[in-house]
Amino acid sequence: MTSMASKRLGFRARLAQRVRKRTLRAGVPEAGIVQLSLRRVYIIPTGAGFAFLVMLMVLFISSVNYSLSLGFILTFLLVAVALIDIHMTYRNLAHLYLQAGRCNTVFAGETAQFEFSIENRRKDTRYAIWLDFVSPEQDFAEQAVDIEGQSSQTVALTMVSSQRGWLEAPKVRLRTRFPLGLLLAWSYWQPAQQALIYPCPEANPPPVPQAGMQGDEVQQLGHAGQDDFAGIRNYQMGDNVKHLAWRQIARLSVEDGGQLISKQFEGGTSSQLCLDFAHLPMQLDLETKISRLTSWVLQAEKDGLSYSFALDNFHLAHGQGSQHQASCLRALALYGKTVGSASNYA
Amino acid sequence: MLKTLFSVSAWQNLSRDKADTLLVLIACLLVILPHTSHLQVWNSVTAIAVLLWRAYVTFSGRRMPPKWVLLPIAAACMVAVRMSQQSLLGRETGVSMLVILLALKLLEMHAKRDLFVVTLLSFFLILSNFLYSQSIATAGLMMVALIAILTAQITFQYTGKVPPLKQRLRHSAGLLLMAIPLTVVLFVLFPRIQGPLWGTPSDGMARTGLSNSMSPGKVSNLAQSEEVAFRVKFFDTVPPPVKRYWRGPVLGKYDGRTWTELMLSDFPQSAVPKVEIIPRSKAIGYQVTLEPSNARFIFGLDIARIVPVIDGKRTIMTRDLQILAQQTINKRIRYEISSITDYTLDPNLDPVIMQTWLALPPNINPRTQQLVEQWQAKEQDPARLVSLVLQFYRTEKFRYTLQPPILGQNEFDDFLFTTRAGFCEHYAGSFVYLMRKLGIPARVVTGYQGGEINPVDGILTVRQSDAHAWTEVWLHGQGWLRIDPTSAVAPERIENNLARALPRPVSALGDFGVFNSLLGSDSLIGRLRNQFQAINHAWGQWVLDYTPQKQRNFFASLGFEEIDWAGMLRITLLIGAMVMAAIVIPLIRQQQKRDPLDALYSALELKLAKRGLTRLPHEGPKTWAQRLRLQLPDDAVMQFLDIYAAQKYASHVPPNALATLKSLLKKIK
Repeated sequence: MTSMASKRLGFRARLAQRVRKRTLRAGVPEAGIVQLSLRRVYIIPTGAGFAFLVMLMVLFISSVNYSLSLGFILTFLLVAVALIDIHMTYRNLAHLYLQAGRCNTVFAGETAQFEFSIENRRKDTRYAIWLDFVSPEQDFAEQAVDIEGQSSQTVALTMVSSQRGWLEAPKVRLRTRFPLGLLLAWSYWQPAQQALIYPCPEANPPPVPQAGMQGDEVQQLGHAGQDDFAGIRNYQMGDNVKHLAWRQIARLSVEDGGQLISKQFEGGTSSQLCLDFAHLPMQLDLETKISRLTSWVLQAEKDGLSYSFALDNFHLAHGQGSQHQASCLRALALYGKTVGSASNYA
Repeated sequence: MLKTLFSVSAWQNLSRDKADTLLVLIACLLVILPHTSHLQVWNSVTAIAVLLWRAYVTFSGRRMPPKWVLLPIAAACMVAVRMSQQSLLGRETGVSMLVILLALKLLEMHAKRDLFVVTLLSFFLILSNFLYSQSIATAGLMMVALIAILTAQITFQYTGKVPPLKQRLRHSAGLLLMAIPLTVVLFVLFPRIQGPLWGTPSDGMARTGLSNSMSPGKVSNLAQSEEVAFRVKFFDTVPPPVKRYWRGPVLGKYDGRTWTELMLSDFPQSAVPKVEIIPRSKAIGYQVTLEPSNARFIFGLDIARIVPVIDGKRTIMTRDLQILAQQTINKRIRYEISSITDYTLDPNLDPVIMQTWLALPPNINPRTQQLVEQWQAKEQDPARLVSLVLQFYRTEKFRYTLQPPILGQNEFDDFLFTTRAGFCEHYAGSFVYLMRKLGIPARVVTGYQGGEINPVDGILTVRQSDAHAWTEVWLHGQGWLRIDPTSAVAPERIENNLARALPRPVSALGDFGVFNSLLGSDSLIGRLRNQFQAINHAWGQWVLDYTPQKQRNFFASLGFEEIDWAGMLRITLLIGAMVMAAIVIPLIRQQQKRDPLDALYSALELKLAKRGLTRLPHEGPKTWAQRLRLQLPDDAVMQFLDIYAAQKYASHVPPNALATLKSLLKKIK
C-alpha cells in the first residue's frame, strides 16, 4: 500500500517536474505590445473548486433523495454560477495588453528590477491579478495588482542577478482566481526585456595603478592630475564633488543663482592613469580580471581621477564622469558575451 | 434595520476586516434562522450564542478563542446532539450537527480556506432548510442568503482595494442573474431520478396524507401538500368531479376526541361478515399508479368490484369496503381496478352490527344534545332528519378554513355553536356524531376527493391536498348512502378543488357591509388573497411538483415520447450549451472592440478578396501593395495601404488618417 502510494507520488512528482520544466522554460521573447489572447489563457479548478464540485454532487443526491424541488434549483443555480465563474475568471485575464518597460542596471549579485505595463482596455476594473517570474531555477515572490478600467498599471518584478552581461527577464506568469476563487486562470508572457548587469567589483582590489608606472611610482597615486590648478568654471554634471571650489561658491549669494563652481586642473599626472585589461597579471582568470578592472573604474571615478580604458579592441580615451564610467562598465559587462542574445537557459 | 446595514456610511465606519466578517455573520444568520423553528431550543440558542460571540470578538478586536476552548465546546455539542436525537444518521441529527458546525467554524476562521468551509456548510444548510419548507418565502430568504454568501466569497478574493459593499452585492447578484437562464434549462431538462435513493419516508417527519385516525379538534393548521398521492388512467369513461370519491380508511370509532378504524374485535361475535352490494351501473375500469405512502391503503373509486393484485398477492377488502395491501407500500406501484359509482350497499344491515355504527361516548357535548332533542321532537323520519341537519350546516354561518381554531373538551359544542370554522374532518366528524345521536348509523370515510385531469394526456392526478373526509349514513331500505357535509358548506371544494374552496373568509363577519367590501372576495384584499393563492398554487404545481413523471410528460409534449435519460441528457447539454454561449460569448468578446484602423483594413481585404486579390497570410501591407501594383493599378488602393502602413507602424501619425482612409475605401470598388 505504502509502496504503491510512494510510487504514485514519485510518478506525480516526476510529471510535475516535467511540466514545470516545459512551461517555465523561457520562450521566444515577444516584443511590443502583447495581447493575452483567448488561446493563451489556461484555466483549471482550484482545490476549493474541486471541493465545490463534490458539494454540488452531494446537493444533487440529497435533492433526489428527498425529492426537493428547491434543492434542485439551488444545485442547478450553483452549477450555473460555477460555469459563469469559469468565464469570469478567464475573462479577468484574457485581453490584457502587456508591454515591457524599463529595467535598471545593477552589479552582479544585486537585485535587478523589470518594469512592465499592463493595460486594461475594458471599462470595468480587473481585480486580483497575481504576477510573478517563473524559471526552473528560482522561485519568485508573487505580486497582486488591480487594474482599473481603461487604464494601465506599471508593475515591477525583481530578480537577483548572478552574473555579468545581459539578464533576460524570465517568463512572466499572470494568475487570477477572481471572482469566486473556484478556478485558477493563468497565462505566460516572455517579455523581450533585458537588464544590463555590470560585473561584480572585486572585494579587496589592489590600488589603482597608473600607466607606465612601476613600483614606487604608485605612491603618487591620488595626487596625480590635481597639482596644476588652472582656474574655475561652472559646475557641470559629472564633475567630481571633491573638485568643487567651496570658497568661490560661498562668495556667491543664493540670489545670484546658487551656482556650484568646480576647480579646473590641467596636465599633471592624471592623464597618465590608464586602466588596461592587457596590463593585468597574466595568471588571473578572466572573471577576476574583469572584477578587478571594474573595481578600479569605480575607485578611479570615486577619487575623481581621469582615466583611459582599454579592453581588447575597446578603447576609451581619457575621461571622467558617469557617462565615461558607464561606457567602461558596459564594456566590462559584455566582454566575451554575445551581445543581445545571451539567454541564460537556452 | 436592514436599511442601516446596507447604508454606505454604516459600513464605512467599520474597518474592512470587521465589515467582511460581519457580512459572513449575516449570511450565516440568514441560513441558520429558519432552522430555529424546528431545531431543539438548546440547539438554536447555542448556535445564535456562538454567532454573537463571534460578533463580539470581531467588534471588540479580541483574539479568537484558542483550540483548547473550542474543542470541548464542539465535543459537548456533538454529545448533546447525539443524546437528544434517536438516530445517529437521521435528518434531524444531520441538520443539528451542521448548524453547530457552521457556528463553531466561524470562531475558528483564520485563513481564506476556512471561509470556503463556511461557504460550503452554508450551502448545505440552505438545502436542509428546504426539507422543512419549500414556500415562496423560504425560497426568497434563501436567495438573499445566497447573495450574501457569494458576496462574502467575492470579498475575500480581493487583494488590493475592496470596492464598496453596494458594488460587491451588485456583482454577486449579477452573477446569480446570469446563472438563472441555465438554471431554468437544467431544472426543466436535466434527467430526474425518482427518489428516494434510500429509505427517507420512515425517518423524521411524517408525510402528509391519510392516516387511520383523525382528530380535527387538535389541528390548528393543515399544511397543504402538493405531493402526488396517485395517478389514474381511465380506460374509457371518466367520472365527473362530483363522483370522484377515492375511498380510503373508514373511521367508525369515536372516543370523544379521535376517530379511529373499527377493529375486528369491535364487532359483535355473532355478526355476519358478509357485505351485500347491488350494482346499479356498469363498472368503470382504470389503472392507478400509487406513490409510496408507507401505509397499506390501496385507493379505488368509490366501491371497487374486483380487488387488485399487487406483486402477485391479492389485496384484502375489509368489512367497510376499504382495500388493503398485504404489505406497506414503500415504492411506486401500479394496478388495474374497476369500480361502480351507483349501487345499493348493504340494504339489510344486521341489527347487531348496526349497534357498532351507533356507538358514542356518553355525557359529552350537552348543547349538541339539546339541539338533537329539538330536532327529534320536530321530526321522526331518518331521511328527513338527514336533510334537516344538512340544512343546519347550510344556513348557519359555517365557514371552510384550513386554519381552524383549536376545540375544547366538548369539541362538537364548540364547533357547532361557537367557532363554526373548520375543514372536511370537522364537518364529517360532527355530522356523524349528530347522526348517531339521532339514532342513524353513520361512519366517517376518508380518502381523496377530486383530482386534476391533465388535458394533454388525460391522466388524472390526485394530490395529498385532495385528501378529504366524508360520511356514510345507513337508511332503511336504501343501505349506506354517501353524504358529504363539507359540500353543504363549501360546494366548490367538491366541484372544483381545495384551492378554489379556500378564499371564503367573509362569513364570520356576517353582514357588516364595510368589512364585507374590504374582505369580500370581490374586494381588494380578497383579490390580493386570490392572487396570492393562485401564485402559491402555480408555485406548487410548476416548481415544487416538477417530478420525473412531469418531466417525462414535458418531453412527450415536445414530441419525445420514449426518451431515456441519455437522450434527455443530450438535449440538456445541447440547449444548456446554447444558453451558456448566448450569455458568455458577449462577456468574453464584448471588450474586443476592434481598432478602427484594423476594421478598415479588413474591409479593404474583403473588398479585394471579392475580386480575387486576397492578401496572403505572410504579406504585410507593403508587400501586398507591391504585388497589387502589378495586378491592379489603382491609386486609391496604393494610397490606402501607404497611409495604413504609416499609421500602423510608423511612429508619426498623419492627421485625419482615419477619415482619409474611410473616403479612400469608398472610392475602391
